[in-house]
Amino acid sequence: MKPKSLLRRLLVSAAVAALVPATAQARCDTLSDVKASEINIVGNAFPALQHIAKEMQACTKGGLKVQFKMTPQVKQEVEQAFGSGGKSAFDAAVVSMGVFADLNSKGQLQPMTDLVNKYRTKYKIEDNMLVKVNGEVMAIAFMQNAQNLFYRKDLFDKHGLKVPTTYAEMLAVAKTLKEKEPGIEFPIAQTFAKGWDSATEFTNIFAGYGGRFFKAGSAAPDFNGDAGVKALETMKAMTAYMTPNFLASNSDDVMNQFQQGKAAMGVLWASRASRMDDAAASKVVGKMDFAAAPAALAGGKAATHLWWDGVVMPKNLGGDRETVFQVLMEALDEETMRGGNDLTIWIRSGYKPTRFGTGVTASAKAGAPIWPTEPYFGLAHGEIGKVIPDVLSGAATPKQALDAAAAAYAKAATEKGFIK
Amino acid sequence: MKTRSFVQFVGPSVVLMILLLAAPLLTTLFLSVRNCTLDMEVVTVEESTPFGKKETVTQRARLDASGRAIQTCRFVGFEYYRKVLGYDPDPSPPAVAQAPGADAAAGPGAPLNEFQGALRFTLLYTFVTLPFVLGIGLLLALGVNAVSVRLRSVFISASLFPFIITPVVAALSIKWLFRDNGLVPQLLSNFGVQVYWMGQAWSAQFLIIVYGIWHVVPFAFIVFYAGLQSVPQDALEAATIDGASRWQRLRYVTLPHLMPLLVFVTLIHVMDAYRVFEPVIVLTQGAFTTSVQYLTYYILLQENNPYKASAAAVLTLVGILILLIPLLVRTWREQRGGA
Amino acid sequence: MQRRSPGLTALIYGGVLFWVVLASLPILWTAVISFRQYVDAFSAPIRWLAPFTTENYSRLWIEREFYRNFLNTAVVTVFTVTISLTVGCLAGYGLSRYRGALGFWLLLVALVFRAIPHSSLLPSFFTIFDALGIRNTYFTLIFVLVAINQPFTIWMLRSFFVNIPQELDEAALVDGCTRFQAFRRVIIPVMWPGVVTTGLFSFLLAYNDFLLSSALTNAEKMTMPAAIANAINAESEALLMQGVAGAVSITIPLVILIVIFQKQIVGGLTQGAVKG
Repeated sequence: MKPKSLLRRLLVSAAVAALVPATAQARCDTLSDVKASEINIVGNAFPALQHIAKEMQACTKGGLKVQFKMTPQVKQEVEQAFGSGGKSAFDAAVVSMGVFADLNSKGQLQPMTDLVNKYRTKYKIEDNMLVKVNGEVMAIAFMQNAQNLFYRKDLFDKHGLKVPTTYAEMLAVAKTLKEKEPGIEFPIAQTFAKGWDSATEFTNIFAGYGGRFFKAGSAAPDFNGDAGVKALETMKAMTAYMTPNFLASNSDDVMNQFQQGKAAMGVLWASRASRMDDAAASKVVGKMDFAAAPAALAGGKAATHLWWDGVVMPKNLGGDRETVFQVLMEALDEETMRGGNDLTIWIRSGYKPTRFGTGVTASAKAGAPIWPTEPYFGLAHGEIGKVIPDVLSGAATPKQALDAAAAAYAKAATEKGFIK
Repeated sequence: MKTRSFVQFVGPSVVLMILLLAAPLLTTLFLSVRNCTLDMEVVTVEESTPFGKKETVTQRARLDASGRAIQTCRFVGFEYYRKVLGYDPDPSPPAVAQAPGADAAAGPGAPLNEFQGALRFTLLYTFVTLPFVLGIGLLLALGVNAVSVRLRSVFISASLFPFIITPVVAALSIKWLFRDNGLVPQLLSNFGVQVYWMGQAWSAQFLIIVYGIWHVVPFAFIVFYAGLQSVPQDALEAATIDGASRWQRLRYVTLPHLMPLLVFVTLIHVMDAYRVFEPVIVLTQGAFTTSVQYLTYYILLQENNPYKASAAAVLTLVGILILLIPLLVRTWREQRGGA
Repeated sequence: MQRRSPGLTALIYGGVLFWVVLASLPILWTAVISFRQYVDAFSAPIRWLAPFTTENYSRLWIEREFYRNFLNTAVVTVFTVTISLTVGCLAGYGLSRYRGALGFWLLLVALVFRAIPHSSLLPSFFTIFDALGIRNTYFTLIFVLVAINQPFTIWMLRSFFVNIPQELDEAALVDGCTRFQAFRRVIIPVMWPGVVTTGLFSFLLAYNDFLLSSALTNAEKMTMPAAIANAINAESEALLMQGVAGAVSITIPLVILIVIFQKQIVGGLTQGAVKG
C-alpha cells in the first residue's frame, strides 16, 4: 500500500472515529440519570468479549467514557481490584464462573437484585441470565460454553466409523485412522498444555469417572484416589495419538491442527467451533462436525463441564452503580447478541443456535455437570496442572503425581484458611 | 567535587530510585514474611444458575460489619522461604493418604521442587549461553572488523536485529519457526531428521538456550566491535615489526585490551540471563523449563499468593547477588585502580 | 600490512553472512506470513508462495485502532528517554567528578538495582498506585520506566563523562563558574555522542517494555507490545494474524532507528563505555 494512501486512510478513519460517537449515541440514548464520567471495566480478550467491549465503549451519553481493559490476566486484575482496601480500579468485570466463585466466597461482590428488578423490563433481562446465591442476584450471565467433541465427519464416513461415545471408543477410532488414513499422523488434538489446559482436561475426565475432588463437606483433597489415577491413565493413552509437542499446545495450536486437516478428533471449546468453517482460517470447511464429549465409562455422563461467563460488580465500587449497571445491560441486550450470534453460545432466548452449538446441547443432555464452584477448587486445579506434565512424559506415576499435588494443595488450602 | 555538589547532582536520580525501586523492594521484603488469611466458614447455599438450581456445601469468608472479609495477617518468619525452597518441615496433613513404599520401586521419584528446578535451569541457561555469547560475539566483531568498510554498516545493522527486537516478538518469531510444521522442522525432515522441539526436555531447553545466545550475541558483538576500534595502533604496529603473526597479535595485544569489555558483557549478561522470562513463557509455557522470574510471575498471577511470590522474589534476588559477587569484586578492584 | 589468505577472507565473509542470515531469518519469516491469511500463514505443510493480502495490517491499524497504541508508545518513550537522560546526565556527571566513597557505593547499589526482576516490584506497584489512584496514567508508567532505567543509564553516562577531561570544567571553575554553570557551558556541548548512545538504550527499554506497561495501563493507554500480546493470546486466529502484523509493525521503527544510528552507537561506545 503506498504510504500516501495509507496516511490518507488513517486520517480519514481518525476523522470518522471522531464522528463515530455521534452515530453510536443511539446506542445508549435511553440511559437515565448518568452520574459518572468514566467507567472502567475489565474482561478477557476472546472474540465474544471483544464484541461486547465495543458495544460498551459505544456508550457515550452525557460525556460518559467507558474503558474496557481486555487482558488474559483477568483473574489477577479482578482479585487485586476487588480485594483492595480502597475503591476498586474497575467498576465492573466480565468473569468466568470459576472467578465468580472465588470472588463471591470472599464477599467482594455486591448484590444486584434491586437493579435487576428496576431495569428488568427495560433491558429484557431474562430469568435464565440471573445467577443467584441464596436468592440474591450476584452475577448476570450472558454466555455458556462447554468442551465437546470435534470430529472430521468426512473421514469418519469414509472409513465407516461411528462417532465415539466413550474414551475407549475414541482411542480405537484413533488407532484405525492412524493406520488407514495416510494424511493423518496424529489423529487426536486436544489441549494438554501444562497448567490450566491440562488441569481442565483432567477435571473433565475425572468427573466422567465419578471422582470427587474433595471429601464431603470439607476442603480436604480426595482426588488422588482410583478415579484420579484412571483419568491420568486415559490422558496418557491419548497422548500416543497426539503430536509430541502436546505439552506446549494451547487451544490456538490445537485449532490449527484441525484447520490444517492434520487432526481428526478432539474435545475442544464449543465457542471456537465456528472458526472451522471460515475459508480464511481453515482448510476443512464443512468437513467438521460436533457431538457430545465422550464419556469416561460406558453409559456414563459426558466427560465435560458446563460453564457460564457473566458480569459482576464489586462491593468497593467507586462509581455510580445505576450508571454502571445500565451500561452493562445495554451491552448485553438483544441487539448485541444478534450482532454477534456466531461468536459464542448466548444464554438469551433469542439466540439462534447454529450447528456449532450442537455439541454443547448434546453434552448437556448427556448429563454433563456444571463446573465446580467451591472457592478452593482453583487451588486444587492449579496444583494438578503442575504435575500432569510429569505423568504424561513418564517422569512420575499417576499416583505419585496426584499424591504430591494433593499434599501441595492441602498446604495451600491451609494457608488460605479453607482447611483449619 | 565537593560532597554538597555531588549530592545536588545525583539527587534527582537517587530520589527516583529510592521511591520506585527501593521502597517497593522493601515492601516485597515485608510481604515475604507475612501471611494473610481469611476466616472461612462452612455454609450451605442455594445457587441458581443458567443451568438450574442446586444446593451446595461450600465455604465463605466471614464478613465484618462493613461487609468486608475479615482478614488476619500475621508474621510467619521464614515459613514461605522454606516452602519455596522445598525444605518444609511440616509433615503432610493426615488428610492425604500416602501410598506405601511400593511406588518408589515403580518409577522415578516425585516431581522435583519447583524453585530448585527453576534455579537449576536458570543457572544452566546463564552459564551455557555465556561462553557462546562471548565467543561468537568476539568472532563476529573480529569478522566484521575485517570486512571492507563499505559493507560494514549493512552487516552491523543486520547483526543487531535479535537484540533490538521486542523480546516478546522475538520469542514468538522463533516459536513460529520451530512449531509443528514450522519452517525448521519441515526443512529438517527433508534430511530425515524429525524433532518435536517442544515435546521433550532436551529439545525444549536447547531451544531456549539457542534463543538466549541468538538474542545476546549482538550486544556482545557491538561492544567488542567498538572496543576493536580503539585498540592502540602503536602496540599493534610494534608487534608486527617484531614479527608477530596475526594470531599472536590477537592474543597478546587485542585480547588484553578487550578484557575489561569481556567482564562488562559478562556482568550484564549474567544479570539479564538470570531474569529470563519471555522465551520460557512463549516457547514452552513452563513445560520442561522454568526460570526463577517465571516462577515468581506464576506464583503471583496464577496462584494469587503475593506472599509466597515475594519470598520467591527475594530468593531470586539473593541468588543473583551471590552470582554477582565475584564479578562485583573484580569491577571494584578495577574502579579502585583506574578511577 | 600482512595480506590475508583468500581462504581466510572467504571464511570471514561466509561466517558474517551466516550470522546475518540467522539474525534476520525469524523476523523476515514473520514479515512474510504477516501478509497472508491465517490458513496460509500457519499452513501445514509450509506454503512458500501464497496469496498476498494486507488485510491484517488494515484491520489492525484502522479497525483495532492500533495507531492509538502507537501514539501511546510514542508518548511514553519520548518522555521516558528525555527524563531519563536529563536526570541521568546530572547524576553521571556528579559521579564522574566526585572522588569520595559515597559515589562508589551508589554505583554498586545501582548495579544491584539493575538486577531486580521486574515482576517482584509488581505487587507493591499495584497496591501503592491503586491506593493513590494513579495506576492508569502516562505519568506513573513513565516514571516507573525512568526509575528502572536509571541504574544502567547512570553507569553508562558516568563512563562517558569520565572520559571528558577534567581540565575542561576545572578551567571553567577557575574562571568563577559554579559547578552547574561549568556543567552547562563546558560539558554539555561535548557530551552528545555518549548521550545519544545511552539514549538509544533507554529508548529500547521503554519501547520494548511489556511486563510493566501491560500491568499499569488500561485499554486506551496501552502501548504496542501489550496490545500485540493481547491480540496474540486472544484465542482467535483473526486476532492472531493482526498480532503478527503488529509484531512486524512494531519492529519497523526499530530497524529504521538502527540503520540511521548505528554509526553513532559504535562511535559512542568506542569513545566512552569501552574504557570502563
